[in-house]
Amino acid sequence: MDKNKIGVFLSLLLALGLTGCKEHKSNSKLVINEVLITNEHNFQDDYGEHNAWVEIFNRSYGSSNLAACLLKASNTPGDTLTYFIPKGDVLTAIAPRQHALFWADGKPNRGTFHTNFTLDATADNWIGLFDAGNNLLDEVVIPANTLGADKSYARVNDGSEEWEVKGGSDDKYVTPCTNNQTIDNNAKMEKFQLHDSAGIGMAITAMSVVFIGLILLYISFRFIGKASVALSRRRAMAVKGITDKQEAKEKKLGEAHGEVFAAIAMAMHEMQSDVHDVEDTVLTITRVKRSYSPWSSKIYTLRETPHKK
Amino acid sequence: MGEFIHFLGENLSDFWTYTGFANATAGHLVMILVGLFFIYLAVKKEFEPMLLIPIGFGILIGNIPFNMEAGLQVGIYEQGSVLNILYQGVTSGWYPPLIFLGIGAMTDFSALISNPKLMLIGAAAQFGIFGAYMIALQWGFDPMQAAAIGIIGGADGPTAIFLSSKLAPNLMGAIAVSAYSYMALVPVIQPPVMRLLTTKHERLIRMKPPRVVSHTEKVIFPIVGLLLTCFLVPSGLPLLGMLFFGNLLKESGVTRRLAETARGPLIDTITILLGLTVGASTQASEFLTMNSLKIFGLGALSFIIATASGVLFVKIFNLLLKKENKINPLIGNAGVSAVPDSARISQILGLEYDPTNYLLMHAMGPNVAGVIGSAVAAGILLGFLI
Repeated sequence: MDKNKIGVFLSLLLALGLTGCKEHKSNSKLVINEVLITNEHNFQDDYGEHNAWVEIFNRSYGSSNLAACLLKASNTPGDTLTYFIPKGDVLTAIAPRQHALFWADGKPNRGTFHTNFTLDATADNWIGLFDAGNNLLDEVVIPANTLGADKSYARVNDGSEEWEVKGGSDDKYVTPCTNNQTIDNNAKMEKFQLHDSAGIGMAITAMSVVFIGLILLYISFRFIGKASVALSRRRAMAVKGITDKQEAKEKKLGEAHGEVFAAIAMAMHEMQSDVHDVEDTVLTITRVKRSYSPWSSKIYTLRETPHKK
Repeated sequence: MGEFIHFLGENLSDFWTYTGFANATAGHLVMILVGLFFIYLAVKKEFEPMLLIPIGFGILIGNIPFNMEAGLQVGIYEQGSVLNILYQGVTSGWYPPLIFLGIGAMTDFSALISNPKLMLIGAAAQFGIFGAYMIALQWGFDPMQAAAIGIIGGADGPTAIFLSSKLAPNLMGAIAVSAYSYMALVPVIQPPVMRLLTTKHERLIRMKPPRVVSHTEKVIFPIVGLLLTCFLVPSGLPLLGMLFFGNLLKESGVTRRLAETARGPLIDTITILLGLTVGASTQASEFLTMNSLKIFGLGALSFIIATASGVLFVKIFNLLLKKENKINPLIGNAGVSAVPDSARISQILGLEYDPTNYLLMHAMGPNVAGVIGSAVAAGILLGFLI
């Protein structure tokens, strides 16, 4: 492959990669997960006060840091307040699949988790979460008069697409700083217990997948093997000067078994090591080209001897 | 003076409460005997010494009785103790993938590449896992525990540890010890099953010698293998990724130093740590339970089922093959991925019936396919249950 072709290939690869890397906000690790506006008897802040709050959820399985992110809110068109989440607070690092709660009390001097804006239940509230580069990570609009006292607007499950009003019923409850649906069972395992108590379903499906995986591998290597045999036959034909494919096939060119090579190697070994006591020896010295690598460089493995000046 | 002697007496009495003699229970003694038995099997019978010596000695270490309320920080289950730190590689599951890296770097897949249909035997033998899974469910284990126990039938210690650390951490000690014990006992378990399920005529089948596999094919194999198996079962990525990566290091021909490290010092180090800590995790108080006995029973059954399914699959498969392409069913047992022991059993049994019929190279095909198959099966179980 010449350099031009390699260049074209790499450019296409880069273009494809850049297209694929386009960021979709729904893919962000951090999302707004639950919002409560009118807090009468719900969660108290560390000052013992009831204020509106915004819960952020890290839906990834790795830690994520909110430091330097921006939390913006607006309940009047053209008037957006921006809260810069301070750097240097270890608590802004959210563990995998965990939550952080921000108090929308308009009192940022009370600490990292107290924002400079408040929310108004009688107006549309737009809340946006932006990363340090001011790129939108997630946003939500809570329509005016949607939420009563101590009711929250939340995703049905942590990080899910659907939102609902929570509070006031046994299956829809307000959950500051914790999962929107309490996970008190292993749904998958319970399904297996319920529908496949004998394990037959699991055995059939899992064995099918194992077979599919290895059949795919089998098919691939059947073709690769055939291609390889054809290639070595072509090479053998070129060496032996045979042009007729049928003749090459009859002579089984390129299909030698490992045993043949093993026998040849053994014979050569015996001839060279056992039969002749003294051999005429020709010593060939070839210059060995070694490409430089810091891993093999002697410079990095030798310590310079200190010298006195 | 009397007060001083009283003080010394109190000190000695206090010291006595810390000694193993004061804290020993019947359970500790039983486990110490088990450890000694493992060491005996390894030294005298040479059953998997690389595994049984570390595990056997680990059992001794883990069952030295001590005052568990004194906070000495010596037990494997005491957070922050040296053994506990070494055990993290097992509980968080990073020892097994490193072992797989080494296995990949030492495995020659040529036999499989030259005769890819042997892969299907490796798939069939995985029925041992699911057969044991079904029986475990009947014996009262929940699906996650049953899956962790079933994987013993994959005959792959690292895979068993990896899966049980995710699905049933409380059973991991028993599962790991059971898996490694039965791998060591493959020469005892498999031959009777193989003899029972084959006729004399079948045992004499001669297979076509494998063709020579080109370097290009060997390089392509780990790449295609990774892409196909992991696209299908991404949850098998830690094991399959490392297995195929190790194999690429070996076959690429340009990373000899890395391949040698992976199959030499690295796998040796991890094997020592893995064996020792798995052995030490069998503390009598945690290990000697009815469940452990059940797990040992299920482990034996899973090996028998896996061997039988491999052999029977070959017999059925032979019905579809031309006469010159028939497979000797004695290599069916090698689908159980105890590399290379089960392949060696095929060879020994084959030679018993025909001293010129060498089956080892043919048996290595299903044997390494079994490694891939058991890692895929572990990925499936993880994907289904977590």
